[in-house]
Amino acid sequence: MPNAPDGFDYDAVLRACARGEQQALHHLYQQDGRHLLGVALRIVRRRDVAEDVLHDAFVSIWQKAASFDAGRGAGRGWIYSVVRHQALNALRGGEREVQADADTLDALQEAQADNTADTVAEQFELQASMGRLQDCLEHLDSAKRNSIVCAYVDGCSHSEIATRLNAPLGSVKAWLKRGLAALRECMG
Amino acid sequence: MNETLEQLQQLAGEYVLGTLPAAARRDVEQRLAREPQLRAEVDAWERRLLPLTALAEPVEPSAQLWPRIATSLQRRAAAVETAAEGWRRWWDDLRLWRGLAGGAVAASAVLAALLLVKPEPPGPAYMVVLAAPQDQGAGWVVQASLDRKLTLTPLHGTVVPDRKALQFWTKATNWSGPVSLGLVAPDRARKLALDQLPPVEPDQLFEITLEPETGSPTGKPTGPVLYIGKAVKVMM
Repeated sequence: MPNAPDGFDYDAVLRACARGEQQALHHLYQQDGRHLLGVALRIVRRRDVAEDVLHDAFVSIWQKAASFDAGRGAGRGWIYSVVRHQALNALRGGEREVQADADTLDALQEAQADNTADTVAEQFELQASMGRLQDCLEHLDSAKRNSIVCAYVDGCSHSEIATRLNAPLGSVKAWLKRGLAALRECMG
Repeated sequence: MNETLEQLQQLAGEYVLGTLPAAARRDVEQRLAREPQLRAEVDAWERRLLPLTALAEPVEPSAQLWPRIATSLQRRAAAVETAAEGWRRWWDDLRLWRGLAGGAVAASAVLAALLLVKPEPPGPAYMVVLAAPQDQGAGWVVQASLDRKLTLTPLHGTVVPDRKALQFWTKATNWSGPVSLGLVAPDRARKLALDQLPPVEPDQLFEITLEPETGSPTGKPTGPVLYIGKAVKVMM
């Protein structure tokens, strides 16, 4: 997926940024600013923080454009990942880290994880535009699917997923682990 | 740390999902620069999960946001300019070179030791001991052979701050400015082929500066010089 449907060339924009053409960064902002702010806002959940994140991400895109390597992935994905990780760092950096309970408890809960996995209510509406990822997510049971989407889209930590899905922390960890492995298998 | 491939893929997946706590995130980010396999797993997860960004509804940014970004870019450009200016002054400062000459005794001792330990035929044509400008402590040794192969060897590890990297540079006497020889890991030897450059000449400068993690954004050194030295011809 190198370009948006309207043919916007993200790779070319990044190359122009690397050459120091500020107009190119502005084009990117006009093209994707709304969507990128939406992505950041879902993760950090506060409008002012989301705007700070987008500011920092655009400065970072500008600084790092020269290091963008199209051989490692498309420009659009690179840009979205810069924004997402900026948002995640803002979110996680502000948290007091509470380490999870003892591993033994986790192990007990992991063993029960599969028994409750199908009882989790859907929290997200997937979209046909997601292509293969949608198919693969739909093959997961609802607990694994919702854990993964909650984490990626809403920046949920393990304990937040546990709260939202009303499940023990150990189960959530197991769902994420097994869900990721299954997705990998399905998508290659 | 013995990590299985499965654990590496899991770590990459949770990093991209965003479920790792702050300390674990920082740890992954530091490893990415030097672990191509982890990098590849992270890239693969970024690609797989990217379509999920479609679930976030677009939000109109405030009118002040773009002007704020544009101002930051301009400020940054000005700061880089100033840093480059400072670097040129520093490079031209004779006192530094007198200081380095003072450190030559220490450097010679290191050289002698290396030559005794490593008599590799065919011997290097030039050697450089890169020393810290402040205390003349030797940190790295550069060996350049006549066929333009160059080896950079750390004498001890260098602590690199978060989001920073070491960049290796060289400049011969009559060159207009230094040329980047790339980023280097703080604790590993690096071999380079200098095919694009003229052969090493006497007194050619080599230095390592502290730069942003992806390297100097300007193509010239912008950060502090951590180690510097001049090429000395050695017997073949």
